[in-house]
Amino acid sequence: MVTRIPLLTLALATLVAVAAVSAQQRQITGRVTSAATNEPIPGVTVSVTGTAFAAVTNSDGSYAIPAPAGTVTLVFRRIAFKRREVQVPAVQTTADATLEPDVFNLEAVVVTGQATGVERRNAAIATSVVTGAEITAAPAPALDRALAGRVPGAYIQQNSGAPGGGTQVQIRGSNTVIGSANPLYVVDGVIISDASLSSGLFSVTGSGNPQSTRNDGEKQDDPVNRLADLNPNDVASVEILRGAAASSIYGSKGVNGVVIITTNRGKAGKPRANIIQRVGFSELQRGPATRVFDTTTAFAQYATPTDTTLSARQQAAAESTLIRSYKVNGVLPTYDHLRELAGNKPTNYETQLDVSGGAGATRYFLSGNVKGDGGIIQNTSAQRQALRANLDQTFSDRFNISFNSAFNRSTAQRGFTNNDNAGASVTYAIAYIPGFVPLMPVNGVYPDPGGLSYFGSNPLQTTAVGKTGETVLRFTGGLTASFQAVQTARHGLRLVGGGGIDFFSQKDEIFAPPELFFEARQTNPGTSTLSNDDSRFANWNGNAIHTYTPASGSWKATTAVGVQWEDRQLSRSRIIASGLLPGQQNINQGSVVTPFEENTHERTIALYGHEEWLGVRERLLVSGSVRAERSSANGDVKKFYFFPAATGSYRFPELLGAGTEVKLRFAYGETGNQPLFGQKFTSLQGGLVIGGNAGIAVPIGGGVAGDANIQPERTREIEAGLDATLASGRATMELTLFQRKTSDLLVPVTPAPSTGFSLHFANAGEIKNEGLEIAAGLTPLQTEHASWVFRTTFTSIRNRVLSLNLPGGATGFRPANAGYGLGFGEFFVQVGQPITQIIGTDDKGNTISLGQANPKFRWSFLNNFTYHRANLSFLWDWQYGGVAQNQTLSLYDCNNLAPDGGTPAGAARYDACINTGDARPFVQSTTFLKLRNASLSLDLPERWASWFGATSARVSVEGVNLITVTNYFGYDPEVSNYGAQAVTRNIDLGPYPPSRQFFFSIQAGF
Amino acid sequence: MRTRHFAIAAGLLALAACNFDITNDNQPTLDDLVKNPTRAKLSATATGLFAGARGGIQALIWRLGSMGREGVNLSGNNQPDFIEPYFGPVVAGGSFGGTLWIDRYAHIRTVHIFLQALASNGTASLPATERLTASEVAGARGVANTLKALALLYVVETRDSLGAPVDVDRPVDAPPAPFVRQDSVYAYIIGVLNSAATDLAAGGSSFFFHVPPGLSAFATPATFLKFNRALAAKANVLRATAGCAGNSAACYGAAITALGASFMNSAPATFQDGAYFDFSTGPGDQTNNLSDPLNALTFFALQDNRTDADTQPASGGAKDQRVLDKIAAAQDTQIALLGSIPIPGQLKFVLYFSNGQADAGHPIPIIKNEELILLDAEAQWFAGGAGGKLQAIVDLNNVRQNSGKLAATTVTAASPDSTFVKALMYERRFSLLWEQGTRWIDARRFNRLGDIPLDVPGGFVPPLMPVPKGECDARSLTATEVIPGVVTCRPPLT
Repeated sequence: MVTRIPLLTLALATLVAVAAVSAQQRQITGRVTSAATNEPIPGVTVSVTGTAFAAVTNSDGSYAIPAPAGTVTLVFRRIAFKRREVQVPAVQTTADATLEPDVFNLEAVVVTGQATGVERRNAAIATSVVTGAEITAAPAPALDRALAGRVPGAYIQQNSGAPGGGTQVQIRGSNTVIGSANPLYVVDGVIISDASLSSGLFSVTGSGNPQSTRNDGEKQDDPVNRLADLNPNDVASVEILRGAAASSIYGSKGVNGVVIITTNRGKAGKPRANIIQRVGFSELQRGPATRVFDTTTAFAQYATPTDTTLSARQQAAAESTLIRSYKVNGVLPTYDHLRELAGNKPTNYETQLDVSGGAGATRYFLSGNVKGDGGIIQNTSAQRQALRANLDQTFSDRFNISFNSAFNRSTAQRGFTNNDNAGASVTYAIAYIPGFVPLMPVNGVYPDPGGLSYFGSNPLQTTAVGKTGETVLRFTGGLTASFQAVQTARHGLRLVGGGGIDFFSQKDEIFAPPELFFEARQTNPGTSTLSNDDSRFANWNGNAIHTYTPASGSWKATTAVGVQWEDRQLSRSRIIASGLLPGQQNINQGSVVTPFEENTHERTIALYGHEEWLGVRERLLVSGSVRAERSSANGDVKKFYFFPAATGSYRFPELLGAGTEVKLRFAYGETGNQPLFGQKFTSLQGGLVIGGNAGIAVPIGGGVAGDANIQPERTREIEAGLDATLASGRATMELTLFQRKTSDLLVPVTPAPSTGFSLHFANAGEIKNEGLEIAAGLTPLQTEHASWVFRTTFTSIRNRVLSLNLPGGATGFRPANAGYGLGFGEFFVQVGQPITQIIGTDDKGNTISLGQANPKFRWSFLNNFTYHRANLSFLWDWQYGGVAQNQTLSLYDCNNLAPDGGTPAGAARYDACINTGDARPFVQSTTFLKLRNASLSLDLPERWASWFGATSARVSVEGVNLITVTNYFGYDPEVSNYGAQAVTRNIDLGPYPPSRQFFFSIQAGF
Repeated sequence: MRTRHFAIAAGLLALAACNFDITNDNQPTLDDLVKNPTRAKLSATATGLFAGARGGIQALIWRLGSMGREGVNLSGNNQPDFIEPYFGPVVAGGSFGGTLWIDRYAHIRTVHIFLQALASNGTASLPATERLTASEVAGARGVANTLKALALLYVVETRDSLGAPVDVDRPVDAPPAPFVRQDSVYAYIIGVLNSAATDLAAGGSSFFFHVPPGLSAFATPATFLKFNRALAAKANVLRATAGCAGNSAACYGAAITALGASFMNSAPATFQDGAYFDFSTGPGDQTNNLSDPLNALTFFALQDNRTDADTQPASGGAKDQRVLDKIAAAQDTQIALLGSIPIPGQLKFVLYFSNGQADAGHPIPIIKNEELILLDAEAQWFAGGAGGKLQAIVDLNNVRQNSGKLAATTVTAASPDSTFVKALMYERRFSLLWEQGTRWIDARRFNRLGDIPLDVPGGFVPPLMPVPKGECDARSLTATEVIPGVVTCRPPLT
């Protein structure tokens, strides 16, 4: 806080020092309306070309702007409308304008800095803008999933089908191995956490050692990434900064892209209200089929003595008696365990109410949202309640303040899924139970499947009796103040200060009571796990933006300087209590208690400067920027790391005839990825007790050596692109090529064991990502009553490991969470190979490359048909290439329970699992074609709407995740057992099954 | 322009006001220990030294005991635990062959960190009350180096002629420490022990840290020196059979000198006195998992231990008293099958039992008086001239008659060395059974590996353990079967 006072003082001093200059000028007034609806458009930016004058239209669309004498050109800009230029002769003092809707968002102002932007037509960087209307076109569990298929350069994939979200967004390839893999999310200037925090599920699934240095256990808990707390209905627009030139302004947090989210704000005028009510249901989309047994095949598999000993023969006899006991009417039945487990058709609902308006200098946007998604597995679901209040206060035409706040409560019951070593994961356990074993309760008693199961687990009992519960309370709030210190024909100086906080606390409970069959087999039956996490992000920034236009008006220079401060803290704690008393969930009632606490804290400060020059009749834009940053995450906390960027673009208006425009652009930028907390510290093990005293030592299995000189990974990127607009905006194309090299790659090095360390973090490698991104839009049909808008995005990214500096000259390493052995396929980061390479053994025991997780390309197709009041839209998404470790398949195969078990194909895979260790069958192509969503809506006539007092009303039916066409076995080729991962994604091991959702929605405006 | 300057000035002010030295408070860190080495932290690290010294000792006992056919680990599905030692090969990357290495070097790293923190206590900015006296520093250094030597002793015992790295106090990203010859490893160990002895002699009257109960007989610098000398004697004896730079007698002589300064005592009642590793079931402590209940299915003793044992003259044909005391019939027998070859488990070790019951808190000897007497026997025989041979026989009989309740040995001063060695190996085998892999180590150093029975058809007794794969990888070396039955790399020796 101390630091803010001088800053404010200085800002005030500037205010006094620089007086507004009034030159020879006149006033132009006018009104802006929509060409489509004739309604006034508030919030349109009006500027006089060749000067720094700018104004914004008020609620009735009118504006007043000073202008120099002589003929001037006014430019009208607003998001979702096409830019318009109007010439105003010297004698004229009024100018009205009508704006056309901008379906492809060609006219957005794209972000170039903390407080600067440039018109998209000039932008020298590839940008993607998605509007709120596009995001909410179909319901999605979270904002990130709503972006799937709409952003070139981004691979957005769900980690599982569990209600509540859990999605990873990878922008422009895999740019790190052990650094952060997530984009930076900024909501109204507030940097928010997208952490994925473990629920503690591993404490019952035993999926790995949670306290190992590689933390493999808790990553398999299928967590929700906390972007899910944000209410997508509040979003006005999302802008995705993909390239390093764009994100370098965010320094060492920018390499994975920056997602800038702007929420809705109030508009002056009559209060408006908007109500959306959705109701629908979910159902299982796809999953493994059941192998059908008869007594012969069942005996062959389960009741054949393993050797000739008496005990083996007795056991076989007992098994055959058991199998016979399962017969119904003399034949072995086949139960569909997957549908018994995940066959629920739960109700989903969502209610959104928002109110906005404003009077005089005050505008507001208030919203409330209640959403509930049922899970197709019993006792799973997700709910969100969200409140938002955004306020804008204008004190004069020079000073205004924007305030935004959101309070959310998200809850989820995610169930027991993913990897397992104890019998808790239901999707894992059903892969062990043959179809003839009954699981459904009889008179309320669940049958114990005994030996024909995994640790005796009956998944239906687990879902009925076990409990999972997560509650998140979150507040995000920010304030931005903007002061126009100087506004003359030549000079403009704006001071912008902003900041905000993002707090959340997450509580997780996992309860597996002792009566569960798999718990009863534990040494200490019954587990209750209570986790509490507390996250606190704070950031603020101060900026000064100066614009200068020479008297000739032929060019414009924008200079921005600023400072940005960021502080991130996360505290996590957990108690695992096992050996529970019957009927008791309280962790006090356990006989063995395992505590855990971890705190991380990073602080970063940066100075930056940005210079932008627009000239040659607004055709040429060049800019340069540099950010100097120091962070507590680095080894040398005093050192400033510099992240420069330079861009240039040139427009060729009417190059291909009237109504066309072609732009060439080029950008170079550097960005980075901070070391993770703790990677610079060599930590020792405490609590080693001998003779009643506790000691400190290097862990006996080898310590983890930090690197006291650790520094951010650095990505240097060259980007070139061509943007074309044809047929007056009815056809557009944006084509971008990029190549990025990441040096100082953070690498987990295995040192010589004689050092006493088993792991060492170091900057020791270089990787390359290069790709092609295309976004194109076409309006083949545009008449008064009918239109067809087609959009497509295409992304193809290739990557390579260029070099690794490992001890002994090793050319590769197995990253953490690489997989489950070469016999099933494992990730292996290797020089000369794709970063996400998967290797494995073939049937002869040779280790071979089996492909890579990254697809060859991803291509989406969005169609939108409007006829009179009806609208039909659907989004197809095609992924080609890429492989996943399908260990769900290997589970079924190792148990000889795949639907084709017993046939030559099934027997071959069984043999691969059990005998030859051939990984090839279990590394499967993830090629798919998905109908991600489709919606059909009808705008009701206004007189119908007015029956219930509304000004507009719309009804629609929507479907989400409707069709998946793929050869992939089992659930969904979009999967990640380890959650969000830069490299080790695409591991499939008993995930929550995917579901298909249908909704009926009514939307009414008041 | 002025505004820009103001903004820059404001930015710089903001920088000055922020603290970026955020520490990691999740666990102790090296950085904090070295920058702020208070008495309490150094004391805790000393405790960590004692705790770390015992890490992996059980694994050493059963692994060496398996190769030397004292016992076998038949637990569950960990087949390498008996396949590698019983059938070979022992493999650099194996879960058997690749072990007994990083645990010792992790401990040596703890020693070096402790020594670094100890040194920085004198230079770091600390209140005067936190400063250690010169004698406290010397005593602590003596203890740390004694434990470091012990760790290296365990390393060289398993890797023998492959050598081992000793100069390991180097940054983790520096090139790995070179391997030195076996004799140089012993020389290094003896050098460290001798420098520790000098430090202990200057260590004043007490330590500033807690000495665990198993070392309660050595809880002051003066008494800890006796433990140090016992290890020096052992290192010299082992070095003597490893060559001692061509002069075995010199090492044996040094051993005799060291034994004189150790806690060696010929009184039978003191045979079990010595230095022990402590274990307990308390929270945070380590348990002695070699104390396997009679119905447990992990560790078993081999029948050979009974059949090879001599018979007591007094009590009606009973076996060597040490066998009776240390081995009992299993309650649940176990047979591990490799193909059709069974490894039977019918006998259990009970030497870590208390009051007839398994006791996970039972200590394990590091070095005890009985071993010192047998070290004395060996050193006297080979370096003590005619008088020495007589003393050696006295030592042998002292152990044989009191621990084994057996008749006196038939070895005389005139017996050939081979006869003496066989008799010595018998006493060492049964006195130190299931305590430190003695039988396997002795068989190798006296070139009698062939005397160890294979016990299973197609069996194999590995001569030494391989260099672990990670150590090979860090040196760009590939592990192959360069020694029959041992898949290892061979780092060049300096």
